[in-house]
Amino acid sequence: MMGMGRIIRSGERVALSHYHLDAEQWSAMLSAPGATLPLISCWADDARAYVLLLEGDRPLLTSTAVEERRYLAPSSRFAGAEWGERVAYDLYGVEAMDAHGNGASALDEGGWTSTWPLSSRPGPAAGGLRPLAGSHLLRPEQTGLSGPLELSFEVRKGKVRSVEVCAGGAHRGVVSRLLGRTPEEAMPLVSRMTAGGFVAHPLAFARAVAQARGLVPGPGIRDVWMVLLEIERMSLHLFDMARTARGVDAELLATHCDHAREAIARACAEQGVSRRLMDMVTCDGFRDGLEIVPLAQAVHAVMQPRLAALEELHRVFASRLDGFAVLDVRLAERFAVGGVSGRASGRSMDMRRREAGMRLEALRATGSSQGDARAREGLRLAEIRDSLKLLERILGSIGLEDDEPAPDRTDEGIGVAEGARGDVWYWVRLKDGRIESLHVRDPGVSLLPVLGAMLRGYPISRVPAALGSIGISPAGIAL
Amino acid sequence: MKAVQRTGPLSLLYAFMDATRGRASVNGEIPRRERPIGLYILETGGCEGCFMEVESLNGSAFALEQAGFVCVSDPADADWLLLTGAVTRVCAEMLDRVWRAMPPGRSLIAVGACAVDGGPFPAGYATLGGLQALTPVRRAIPGCPPAPQEILHALEELARV
Ligand code: SF4
Repeated sequence: MMGMGRIIRSGERVALSHYHLDAEQWSAMLSAPGATLPLISCWADDARAYVLLLEGDRPLLTSTAVEERRYLAPSSRFAGAEWGERVAYDLYGVEAMDAHGNGASALDEGGWTSTWPLSSRPGPAAGGLRPLAGSHLLRPEQTGLSGPLELSFEVRKGKVRSVEVCAGGAHRGVVSRLLGRTPEEAMPLVSRMTAGGFVAHPLAFARAVAQARGLVPGPGIRDVWMVLLEIERMSLHLFDMARTARGVDAELLATHCDHAREAIARACAEQGVSRRLMDMVTCDGFRDGLEIVPLAQAVHAVMQPRLAALEELHRVFASRLDGFAVLDVRLAERFAVGGVSGRASGRSMDMRRREAGMRLEALRATGSSQGDARAREGLRLAEIRDSLKLLERILGSIGLEDDEPAPDRTDEGIGVAEGARGDVWYWVRLKDGRIESLHVRDPGVSLLPVLGAMLRGYPISRVPAALGSIGISPAGIAL
Repeated sequence: MKAVQRTGPLSLLYAFMDATRGRASVNGEIPRRERPIGLYILETGGCEGCFMEVESLNGSAFALEQAGFVCVSDPADADWLLLTGAVTRVCAEMLDRVWRAMPPGRSLIAVGACAVDGGPFPAGYATLGGLQALTPVRRAIPGCPPAPQEILHALEELARV
């Protein structure tokens, strides 16, 4: 009996890590004996259904044809696939057969100009907004998040029992806007995918495009990308830490986080780059005129002296976060939850570790694996310390050669960047130099299936504080 | 199971008829305010960059309150609605609801390119393309995103007129 990985590899290899399966192979893969490979993402369009899996720390993509707008549901095996199936139905009208879950809309709340807007055969507009189900609601403006996310709850005795998420309010139709563009034309929009990844999203996209074109960025480019990503990591960790601190009235810690984040932004601006590093990453490297060494030095100089005070204040207030919004490691493994939330629960996945040229000795962050808000907050701090070390190491050996072989050009590529809020993935297929197909997986998506478990037992009034400590971007989830 | 009925985007056209009515002008001088101007911030489907900059402005690194403003968590306490994001068709309902909950004399300010005309997310199947699709936008703070300091300066300017 073949395991999942071998079944996938028995299909037709169409790109570096992508195998086409026929309907029979697809079905066999979904019922393969043995371990289930962790699912990173699931999506479908008019023509094919895809699952992106992790084998060790390597991506493995497989897909099958969609026939008569139907395909056998990946969620019959991968519980985390449900969100992608619902999105595929909303955008393309393709249906997952034998799907797990209730099939509620993920994005389409009514009000769009058509149903299945990305389908080759879109349906008529549904008219007004659909009524929202659920006994209790948290309105999109009440979640404490940076963007609109509709949460409805089943509640018993005033405590959350389960959660339904609808992200339609944040959906801007990004994928439809990117199809048909060259990667270079697409990049400005990719750079505004979410403020939770002004660097991570374009970087994952640039890596996917490079792989599709059969290119490997040189060590100089690679190091610049790493520096930008670490600066973003520190800045976003500080943002999420400030929010978490305010959620438990730790105003003093929040104040220090605010000042540190602003100091980083000013250091960037003084070095002639945008405060939040927007538009720095390009498809083949980085923006002209970017002087990475003085930028890294300036950010290091403003951040390093602030770390001790942040750590001290964290020690003072951390007990307020004890046992709050816990993510169990089994759930983190099952749903491939990455980023701080995954690692703070004990799932030690960090996609930076597989990057060529990574200075692994700088990545030391360990800490509690309790999976609660305290563990997440502590890990964010530890990761800021690591980011500073990484900047030092990169500055000490910037652009040092190594020999990473270039992949064959297949016009298809997968890119990943370990952003502050987790692993951001892009898959892109080019045709005649333009984007024919594209998928984006923001790390927030992997948190959706575990939210219910993390929030269970709390009154709804505590939900915004919990969400703040998890760090979710509705814009990234909804696209 | 309770179901919440919702209004559609078009009801906004009515709701915004009075959106452009300004606050009382005092010939360019800074008005003497008895209380700070209440700001309610609403994200309606952008990349969240503008929203996060307003949140930073409301944090400890900027003197928002010294400048005469206070961020409020209930639209009923708000004088100005600071809108960020491209106004998705779904969010139009939320915008309508928040706007109606504000007291008379309210003002609407578009923060960032998205809120004005959709910025990188112009009108599409899911987006209306910023406030411009609903009402003439007279109070806008450009940028993608504007820095907190720029937002603060613009708010101070708007408070003067
Ligand atoms: S204006 Fe720019 S920064 Fe602001 S929400 Fe829109 S895309 Fe994001």
